[in-house]
Amino acid sequence: MTQAIKPLSRTTGWQWPPEWQPVTLWGIYSVWHRHAKVYQRTWLVNCLPPLSEPIIYLVAFGYGLTPLVGEVSYFDRTVPYLNFIAPAMMAVGVLFQSFFEGAYASFIRLNFQKTWQALLTAPLSFTEVFLGDWLWATTKGMIAGSLTGLIAVVWGLYSIGHFLVAIPIMLLGSLLFAAMGLFTAGSVRTVDQVNIPIFMLIVPMFTLCGTYFPRETLPTVLKYVATILPLSSLIDLLRWNLGLSPFWGLQILWLLGLMVIFVLLAARAIYPQLIK
Amino acid sequence: MGKIIATGTQTPDPLRRSIADQSAIDPLAQSIQSAPVVLYADDLWKFYGDHPVVQGVSLELRGGEVLGLLGPNGAGKTTTVGMLYGGVVPSRGSVKLGSISVQTAGHKARAKMGIVTQEDNLDPDFSVIENLIHFAHHYRLTGKAARTCAGELLALVNLEDQAHQAIDELSGGMKRRLVLARALINRPQVVFLDEPTTGLDPDARQEFWKLVTYLKQQGSSILLTTHYMDEAQRLCDRLMLLQEGRFIDQGTPLELIERTIGREVVEIAGIDEATVQKLAAQTQTWWRSFGDGFLMALPAEPSGLWQQLSGLQPDRLLRRHANLEDVFLRLTGDRLE
Repeated sequence: MTQAIKPLSRTTGWQWPPEWQPVTLWGIYSVWHRHAKVYQRTWLVNCLPPLSEPIIYLVAFGYGLTPLVGEVSYFDRTVPYLNFIAPAMMAVGVLFQSFFEGAYASFIRLNFQKTWQALLTAPLSFTEVFLGDWLWATTKGMIAGSLTGLIAVVWGLYSIGHFLVAIPIMLLGSLLFAAMGLFTAGSVRTVDQVNIPIFMLIVPMFTLCGTYFPRETLPTVLKYVATILPLSSLIDLLRWNLGLSPFWGLQILWLLGLMVIFVLLAARAIYPQLIK
Repeated sequence: MGKIIATGTQTPDPLRRSIADQSAIDPLAQSIQSAPVVLYADDLWKFYGDHPVVQGVSLELRGGEVLGLLGPNGAGKTTTVGMLYGGVVPSRGSVKLGSISVQTAGHKARAKMGIVTQEDNLDPDFSVIENLIHFAHHYRLTGKAARTCAGELLALVNLEDQAHQAIDELSGGMKRRLVLARALINRPQVVFLDEPTTGLDPDARQEFWKLVTYLKQQGSSILLTTHYMDEAQRLCDRLMLLQEGRFIDQGTPLELIERTIGREVVEIAGIDEATVQKLAAQTQTWWRSFGDGFLMALPAEPSGLWQQLSGLQPDRLLRRHANLEDVFLRLTGDRLE
């Protein structure tokens, strides 16, 4: 009898492109609100890393390397080393916080706490839960990037006007790295495996993408590899006050394109774990 | 070796009492039969790869009814429940809650459903009452309304004193009650309870059963999966038996028992199989091996067979009322473990 009945197409619970389910703003907000409430419970502790990290980096590398480096040549301009690394510190804050929230925290919510599964017993669709999680990881990136930016403004390394323009750029970066984090959370099977993209991608980006030195000093091949990595585009865009690459439009499109790709990949990785 | 000869009629048996009660017309059963269908599933199939997990399951759940899905582990109970609330996408077939299609508008349907899954997926980041308050937010219940609702639900499940405790500090039974409270936030039309008392001690199970009975009295429709016979007999108005993803029979617990086994069975040990086989053939009754002995249904007029069995002076002879475990043994050949 079973042979006579042909199963329909959804035998594996997954289709490409993903079956986007109904979305309400309330649904997305409600999931985001849940994560924000957890964050709020220990907000003082939670605010410490995004505040202390850039200050430490700025103080350590700024005061430590400025006497050695002094000034840096950037787009035919000579800029003080602290002014050079301040926008990169904003980008690093965005990268670390949004990626780690998307990767570690979402993995824990998915596999240990079963938060996603619980949310799907409420009147929420998969898309709402997914978008809520993604936007929360994005928010974490924005908190880190903005706090770093404000420190840079107070320090006199970045003007308030530059900072306001930097907000949508940081948003784009946060959305991308949060999506990369979610793709990691959906792809790995053990929490230790999250270390693989961290050491294969995040740390190389952190060190090679022009964070502490201009990429021009790298060997040619490595320079091109580093330029393709998305943190380079984000840092270049955030350094718009020091000079803008002639490819800035392309860099925005590159970040947008990667974001779309990683969101779809993340949805594809997580959906079958929840909707069987 | 000492011989054990006993009948199982010394202790009061709620099932037996209700068999007697059912000889009269049961107004509650009648009212359920005439209640409107709230949840309707039509020809549900689920394949994982080429492997069919659920095969052609159709069911109706009526207002105020407690419907039990009964079956051994791996029978497809949880997959069926998942398809009913939208957590599992059917390979074919459809589910409707009233006029809402669960497949195309699952979130709308779940606004009228309460779901207690097998796993405790409470939020360990929140206290007991915060779990309810923040979950109420998903139903657009916020502020004072959410706090009031959470307080009422905690009172209902008797967890008021634990309101500000962490989830880790709760016992297993308390966690299950809190998951149930969370499922009741929106006064659901249908409540799904997927093996809600698995792993609980007898006291905690009794507490949970009280809540289910209360919900039923309040008019909620409940779909319960379990492999505990006593739970199914106590709580369910109707049972559907599942084996390897198919429904093999359905009815009230009493109907199933009487139709499949009869009123009484005998557990017997210490006589050879040929004798049992011969006696069963003579009286045209069902038997099978059972532990170190045999299980035999007693016919409608049991005294002749009972006397013969007693006369054989077996090592162990126990006469007792038939139950759902016996039904399952007969229908599937499996124990419900």
